[in-house]
Amino acid sequence: MTAAWFDEQSRLTPEELQTVSFPMTRLGRRGYEEEPVQGFLQQVHAEFVRLVNERASLWQEVQRLRRRILAGEDNNDPQAVLFGEADAHVHAVRILSTAQVTADRYVADAQAYSSRVTAEARLRRDDIVREAQQHSDMILEDAHARARDAAVSALNEAAPPQTDRERRAAQAELAYLRTYGDVYRAHLRAYTEGVLRGIEEWERKEASSLQEVSQGQPEVTSGQHGVARGYSDRRSIGH
Amino acid sequence: MDIVRLRESFARVAMHGDELPLFFYSDLFIKHPEVRDLFPVSMEAQRGHLVDALVKIVSQVDSVTELTTFLQGLGRDHRKFGALAEHYDAVGASLLTTLAHFSGPAWTPELAADWRDAYELIGSVMTEAAHADEQVHPPWWRGTVVSYEQRAFDISVLFVRPEPHLDYLPGQSVAIESPSRPKLWRYYSIANAPRVDGLLEFHIRLIDGGAVSLALTSSLITDTQLRLGAPVGVLTLSRPASGRDLLLVAGSTGLAPLKAILDQLTGLPQPPRVHLFFGARTADGLYDLDGLEKLAAQHPWLTVTPVVSAEPKFDGETGSLPDVVARHGNWSGHDAYLAGPTEMVEETVARLTAAGMAQEQIHIEDFGWSEP
Repeated sequence: MTAAWFDEQSRLTPEELQTVSFPMTRLGRRGYEEEPVQGFLQQVHAEFVRLVNERASLWQEVQRLRRRILAGEDNNDPQAVLFGEADAHVHAVRILSTAQVTADRYVADAQAYSSRVTAEARLRRDDIVREAQQHSDMILEDAHARARDAAVSALNEAAPPQTDRERRAAQAELAYLRTYGDVYRAHLRAYTEGVLRGIEEWERKEASSLQEVSQGQPEVTSGQHGVARGYSDRRSIGH
Repeated sequence: MDIVRLRESFARVAMHGDELPLFFYSDLFIKHPEVRDLFPVSMEAQRGHLVDALVKIVSQVDSVTELTTFLQGLGRDHRKFGALAEHYDAVGASLLTTLAHFSGPAWTPELAADWRDAYELIGSVMTEAAHADEQVHPPWWRGTVVSYEQRAFDISVLFVRPEPHLDYLPGQSVAIESPSRPKLWRYYSIANAPRVDGLLEFHIRLIDGGAVSLALTSSLITDTQLRLGAPVGVLTLSRPASGRDLLLVAGSTGLAPLKAILDQLTGLPQPPRVHLFFGARTADGLYDLDGLEKLAAQHPWLTVTPVVSAEPKFDGETGSLPDVVARHGNWSGHDAYLAGPTEMVEETVARLTAAGMAQEQIHIEDFGWSEP
């Protein structure tokens, strides 16, 4: 009981490990990379805290045993001191603390998982939107170019010299629009199918990863049906 | 009270890291199980708050004014959590048990008396502030969601009716608790100046993995009863008016408090000239641009510049918000109000300061005692 638990002075504390900083090397000279050093310090800090706590609980255990020995010398009922009220409380505190930390970890894991999944989904979404924009630009440009060509050739081939100017212009316009429409539709169909294939693949991957989690339970297949229905919905909305 | 002894004692117990608050809360909950209901399921963040508060108190224990302001805020803030005067005694007892436990043989009657005195002081400042606040405010307001609108895939706008009437300054925020996430409070800025019908507008961005934002961005939220804490925050128009023109810089839903200030300005007889930069990563993140452009069309003193950082084809200003603001000229004669992601705000402050803007001209949010 009399031995000091800590030397009061000049003892390194975990906090010092967290706040320590070293002078920088001069430019062009070799030095440590900062990140691994910080990572290591954090590791040392955690280990330090663990040791401090381990030592404290050992000290308490020693105290308990010492009390037991002292009491045992002049008490015939060892049960009475084996587990005093104070010890019981500390035990209860420890049990509750463990339960709380376990709960905290579940919540933190669930949050980390949801964060990762949504972050990935966000990235995928950004990719899909960006690709869609590029494709739509390309489709428009291509359709314009082809329709221009078609209009010019329609004008050159089909127009007899006597036809009045308005009719020629209208024909040209018609040819332009028809070709533009055809090209645009074809491109759009090809592109939409491509996007759907992409989504299908993505969702198949997700479903298979779910399957891994649920160890091949039958609900997963019915879930895929739901997903497949989702495509056609999306397709009709898309048009 | 021996302050040096108190600090040495704290430094010693603080070495135990997370074990210290863990022991404290377990001790408290075993002795007073009814107190457990005042806390969320996960106590991890809570333990951090406790240690942060203790560190702050112990380091400021000799600068009374600063500490008193902090503790008064803490006391008022704790009303919405359901903290009552009798809880303070329970907390004090558990704090002493915890300190004794981790101090080991260093725990002496003198040290115990030091801590008891210190805690009595802390507790009395907090309970007095809470009591004074009781005369003015309810502990929390009921907030009924009257409408919900999804503006972008990750941004929603809510209108909430508070009961009873809630007084606040444009630019201030309230903590919100959703019934599906009990005891988890998050600060959201009110996006309008006080209205006749009392409705409050909130802009909610879905945070990846965020527990509360997810609960608030559901289409099922209409008619839900939220709880709202007392309004806090210092991002409000300076009084008396400085006479300078205003620069407003909003990143994403950082628009909310600045929109409240704009709303307030439209009610003034002679508003200053205002230039608002509204930034987002992509064009569809500019979730309130239509409304802002309408406002700018009505009010010749208002200029709105949308900025997009990750979509080079955007038809308008592109690049990082601080860059665009800095490149738009010399703002040193303006008052600046900034809100948005921390990094963006810090970078903008640095750029404006470097360009000669004085610190008192720059207004940013600072909740002081509570994490936003």
